[in-house]
Amino acid sequence: MPEFVAQTLNGLTLAGIIFLVSSGFTLVFGVMRVTNLSHGAVYLVGGYIGYSVINATHNFFLGLAAGALAMAALGFLLERTLITWLGRSEMAELLATLGLIYVLDDLALAIWGGSPVTINLPGFLGQSSTLPGGIVYPNGRVFILIVAILVAAGLYYLLRRTRIGAIVRAGVDDRDMVSALGINVRRVFALVFSLGALLAGFAGVLGGTVLGLYTGGDSDILLFALAVVIVGGLGSYEGAIVGSIVIGLIDNYGTAYFPAVAYSVLFIPVIAVLLIRPHGLFGRATT
Amino acid sequence: MTRPSGVNPRLLLRRLAVARRGAPTGSADGPPTPGRGGRPPLGAERRSGAGGSGGSPPGKQSGGSSPRTITVMRRSRQFGGPAAGLVIALLLVLLLQGNGFVSTLVVDMLVYAIVAMSLDFLGGYAGLISLGQAGFLGVGAYGVAIAEAHFYPPWAAVGIALGVTLALGLALGIVAVRVKGVSFVIITLAMGQVLWGLSYQWVGLSEGDNGITVSVLPTIGPLDLNDPLTLRMTVLVVFAVVALLLVTFTRSPFGLSLRGVRSNEARLAALGYRTGLHRYLAWVIAVFFTGVAGVLYVFVNQLISPTTMDFSANGLFVIMAVLGGLGSIWGPALGAVVIVLFQQELSIYVSRWQTLMGLTLIAVVLLSPGGFWGLLRAAGRRWDAAIARRQRDVETVP
Repeated sequence: MPEFVAQTLNGLTLAGIIFLVSSGFTLVFGVMRVTNLSHGAVYLVGGYIGYSVINATHNFFLGLAAGALAMAALGFLLERTLITWLGRSEMAELLATLGLIYVLDDLALAIWGGSPVTINLPGFLGQSSTLPGGIVYPNGRVFILIVAILVAAGLYYLLRRTRIGAIVRAGVDDRDMVSALGINVRRVFALVFSLGALLAGFAGVLGGTVLGLYTGGDSDILLFALAVVIVGGLGSYEGAIVGSIVIGLIDNYGTAYFPAVAYSVLFIPVIAVLLIRPHGLFGRATT
Repeated sequence: MTRPSGVNPRLLLRRLAVARRGAPTGSADGPPTPGRGGRPPLGAERRSGAGGSGGSPPGKQSGGSSPRTITVMRRSRQFGGPAAGLVIALLLVLLLQGNGFVSTLVVDMLVYAIVAMSLDFLGGYAGLISLGQAGFLGVGAYGVAIAEAHFYPPWAAVGIALGVTLALGLALGIVAVRVKGVSFVIITLAMGQVLWGLSYQWVGLSEGDNGITVSVLPTIGPLDLNDPLTLRMTVLVVFAVVALLLVTFTRSPFGLSLRGVRSNEARLAALGYRTGLHRYLAWVIAVFFTGVAGVLYVFVNQLISPTTMDFSANGLFVIMAVLGGLGSIWGPALGAVVIVLFQQELSIYVSRWQTLMGLTLIAVVLLSPGGFWGLLRAAGRRWDAAIARRQRDVETVP
């Protein structure tokens, strides 16, 4: 039983990281209809930047901020150049971001090399505590879980209780109408895309502590994010939360109890949802 | 295919093309039939001619536009394609004779080209871009390797591999073609990753990271695939058969209504076409041919390991198809040639060839959505316009 509880906690931690990545992905898709396949690569590069900054400054939180902000800047840049140049063609954007994966991965390989690295958490966060019930559990994972919940709450507040959130949600429903109401949609797009990249970079540094950073880590995390949006529905915030928990738990139980088919176990909810609700639990049919 | 009698698909398609003016990606405009290729430039020419001074056409005529020249130009347009195809076919046969590096490179190109063309059939004609195609290449290849490891004779192994690929295609298709567009890309990517995950994690079946070697190749009568030259020629023949089949499919009523499904599904559905079935069949065809390529792959390389079907490989096939030009079948084959050259040749001189490849893809998406084949097609259209201009010059002289 303590084993199962620990596995559940592990699954929830993973769900936290997956949520940070997939919420950005789904937000960008929901508002801009841009399928950013390079989202995983942004996660990885953000993590690597955080790693370098932590090595240089010996301050974890500085690294966390650096990874997140650097990726926000990259996201802003990408939105203003590539995404703007491509206009509104969904497939062209998808293909261009596919090309971007190779560029970002290759540059990351050139700068940080091919051997996996792990980010160490500082002080208290690097230790373990005994949870009620006698389970010894690393503080770092609890920290990630708490941070993910805080971010989820923050995003909820931003989306549901602020004017910006109202604009973003209106953008999800009817982008053209928002624009017609005199709101600068271009600025909203740049903001949303940067926010998505910021979340990915942030998740990269956090993920680097438990999952590690390695070549190909980007496609692993991208698959998680994609599985989440299939289950939860593309563009849905609630879907990202529910999907992350489902995928995080299933992947972790799969890895723990059926290691030979862990990846495929992940696919079971995906297929089930596709058969019953092709557009996801919280998704709506678009176009 | 399930077409109500009395509707001419070619005519229907033309109407659709008019109806969907202003659609986002005009990457695939279909084969350059004389009617389509010639018409728009002719119209454009007429406009510019009317606006021009009018003095130049007769003056030009004496230069070189005799009816004879025009006939030669027409013939070049008519027979240029087939002639180039013949030359390339001969060149391929010659290149495959050697035992060296070049023939290995060409065989790689041919195998990858089969995958890229299948992907194009699905992506360029049905509008369903699959980011999981390497996974099905892996299914074909692992099918042979695992069957042979379980002591099935080589031919049986080929049968098993193709059967498994087909069965998987039929089963996964039910899920995959329920969605289209971006969702389809995401779902096929997920499928590809799961297949990769099985090859990587299911060590009992797939030997995990090490992969499986295949050393015994099939033989029938005098045709012994264990002989490298015979194997290479077989790859060439299979490539040609698949390519011609795919081209035939695209020109068949099924292919035309498939393009109709991509352009305006609601209208096709209203006309009584079973659009879901169209997409499903296109998917099954693409998956099956990719499995065929997988069988060839494992015979050529005598090894199959998870890296052949990882995310990067999935992306590479899409890059081949897009660089070459979606909706042309031959274009993606050209894309396969380019990408294999990138991988095998450019990587010797440039260590950051992947960056270069990614940037090339971005540049093509931005600047030439029709890919390399789109550029060729545009050149063909310009040639048609030149013919039409000269024709007009000749006609207006007397």
